[in-house]
Amino acid sequence: MLTKRQNLMETMKGGKPDRFVNQYEFMQMIMSVPITRVRPAIGEEKVNEWGVTFRWPEGQLGGFPVHDEEHILIKDIENWKDYVKAPSVKRPEEDWVPAIEAANAVDRNDQFVTCFVAPGLFEQTHHFMRMENALTAFYEYPDEMHELIDYLVEYELTYAKELIDHIHPDCIFHHDDWGGQISTFLSPKMFEEFFLEPYKKIYGYYKANGVELIVHHSDSYAATLVPYMIEMGIDIWQGVMTSNHTPELIKKYGGKITFMGDLDSGVIDFPAWNSEIIAKEVERACKTCGKLYFIPCLTQGLGISSFPGVYEETSAAIDRMSKELF
Amino acid sequence: MSKIAEVKAKVEAGKTKLVAGLVQEALDEGDKAEDILQAMVDSMGVVGDKFSTGEIFVPEMLIAAKAMAKGVEVLKPLMAGDSASSLGTCVIGTVAGDLHDIGKNLVSMMIESAGFKIVDLGVDVPAQKFVDAVKENDNVTLVACSGLLTTTMPALKEAVQTLKASGLTGFKVIVGGAPVTPEYAVEVGADGYAPDAGSAAVKAKELVTA
Ligand code: B1M
Repeated sequence: MLTKRQNLMETMKGGKPDRFVNQYEFMQMIMSVPITRVRPAIGEEKVNEWGVTFRWPEGQLGGFPVHDEEHILIKDIENWKDYVKAPSVKRPEEDWVPAIEAANAVDRNDQFVTCFVAPGLFEQTHHFMRMENALTAFYEYPDEMHELIDYLVEYELTYAKELIDHIHPDCIFHHDDWGGQISTFLSPKMFEEFFLEPYKKIYGYYKANGVELIVHHSDSYAATLVPYMIEMGIDIWQGVMTSNHTPELIKKYGGKITFMGDLDSGVIDFPAWNSEIIAKEVERACKTCGKLYFIPCLTQGLGISSFPGVYEETSAAIDRMSKELF
Repeated sequence: MSKIAEVKAKVEAGKTKLVAGLVQEALDEGDKAEDILQAMVDSMGVVGDKFSTGEIFVPEMLIAAKAMAKGVEVLKPLMAGDSASSLGTCVIGTVAGDLHDIGKNLVSMMIESAGFKIVDLGVDVPAQKFVDAVKENDNVTLVACSGLLTTTMPALKEAVQTLKASGLTGFKVIVGGAPVTPEYAVEVGADGYAPDAGSAAVKAKELVTA
């Protein structure tokens, strides 16, 4: 039997995997990295490390950036430098100990030591100034948006250096949601203009420093961005929703990029979930997407589900499909 | 190209800095405010259709709406009463438990540009607040409820059913949002459903003029 790592490589290379890669199994996420994101707990409001206020009201599913006049970070994009100050990434060496120990405990023959990076460049722009302002600024203030994104890239590179120096990750799991369910936020042309080079820099830097695998999360439609993903150096697109017609993407781009998802969280992961729906969806995904360049996975951006039991039940259904199809 | 045609083209292209000037020029040349407005409404219709077919994206739609708003500002003082919102008032909001508003805002912009006056209740709107808004505002012809989370689908249902059970009349209810399907819309008793902002405006008009 192949190790998880070998099985993933066979799947990505178009070789001979001996089973489906099961969701996030190949990544061992090191979540004790000391450069943490400041986030509110339920009922709390917190200003994060960049100065963005997040609020998580009682009874809500998660936190949200607060964008009223008083709280919005970038009040006018022409003067973004007055508002945006990158946080420091320097931490005392002893703070790194738990993360280094966690990384050392991983059998790298079996799993990829993985560092988690979020939010992404695009997400930061809308956290800073709300979605509408960010999206119109790409048209009305392109120079300022380029400058802002370059500034975020510089920050990401200093952050990357800390991760590499301390953890020597094999894999980076990087979030940046580029669309909704049926469309990307930006046109492919605009996406190329603003995000291709910045991500080439970031992912290129990781690759030049020992990172073998770039997994990018965007749980959305983004089929039209796949050529850019490939050019950026993304090895696996996690979060691919069924609206992308994943089997067609696999046919077209398999071998250059691997698709992880095709199990829409919205359809499977809800309060009244049940194992029949999961089994049916997993069977559909595995049978239509096939054994190569595909990893069946919930579209959620971490190896968890919103409702207890869903992630585990999905994994069990994938194992059953492996028995049946391999 | 006539001035009106130019206004139309520049709204479609989202030329936020040019539209106000062009509208003024059109007026100076003798075009009627109503006709200029109609031209802009038509161009937003085109924008909506292009968005529905995936030809343009959210930023293009946002700047087109912004361009139109600049033009409307020039026309407002000239328009008799509320003729810029001849289809009545639309109360819109994202349902209780849900804080997503990008889709709702796009829908609101498109419905507004189709000729409604908008009362935006924001996000996390309890069912009763929709009902109160219908009571408190004049000539409410449409209530639009948006929901983006599968977990708040029951809140969508509650909003529609509370509105329907309120005894108030004279308005239709339209629902939408990524997890909402046409079947679900029927099941909860809504009068209409639209999959995206462009078609929401078309549907809205259809519902209140039917
Ligand atoms: C009335 O008639 C109508 C007619 C048509 C209507 C209509 C009404 N309303 C909409 N439409 C239609 O027209 C619009 C325009 O064409 C369309 O609107 P849409 O809204 O669909 O489309 C927009 C133009 C673009 N789409 C969007 O704006 C949504 C995109 C995604 C990526 C998304 C975003 C951007 C955000 N989010 Co959120 N977010 C996701 C989304 C993932 C996805 N793939 O869709 C989704 C919806 N989010 C989710 C979650 C879980 C959350 N989010 C949260 C927060 C956020 C951000 C702040 C980061 C940001 C929102 C910014 C904002 N101001 O709205 C939290 C929510 C808190 C809360 N209580 O609401 C949080 C809980 C995250 C967390 N763990 O903290 C997921 C929901 C899962 C579920 N169970 O349903 C999600 C599917 C992502 C995922 N896969 O996990 C149509 O649906």
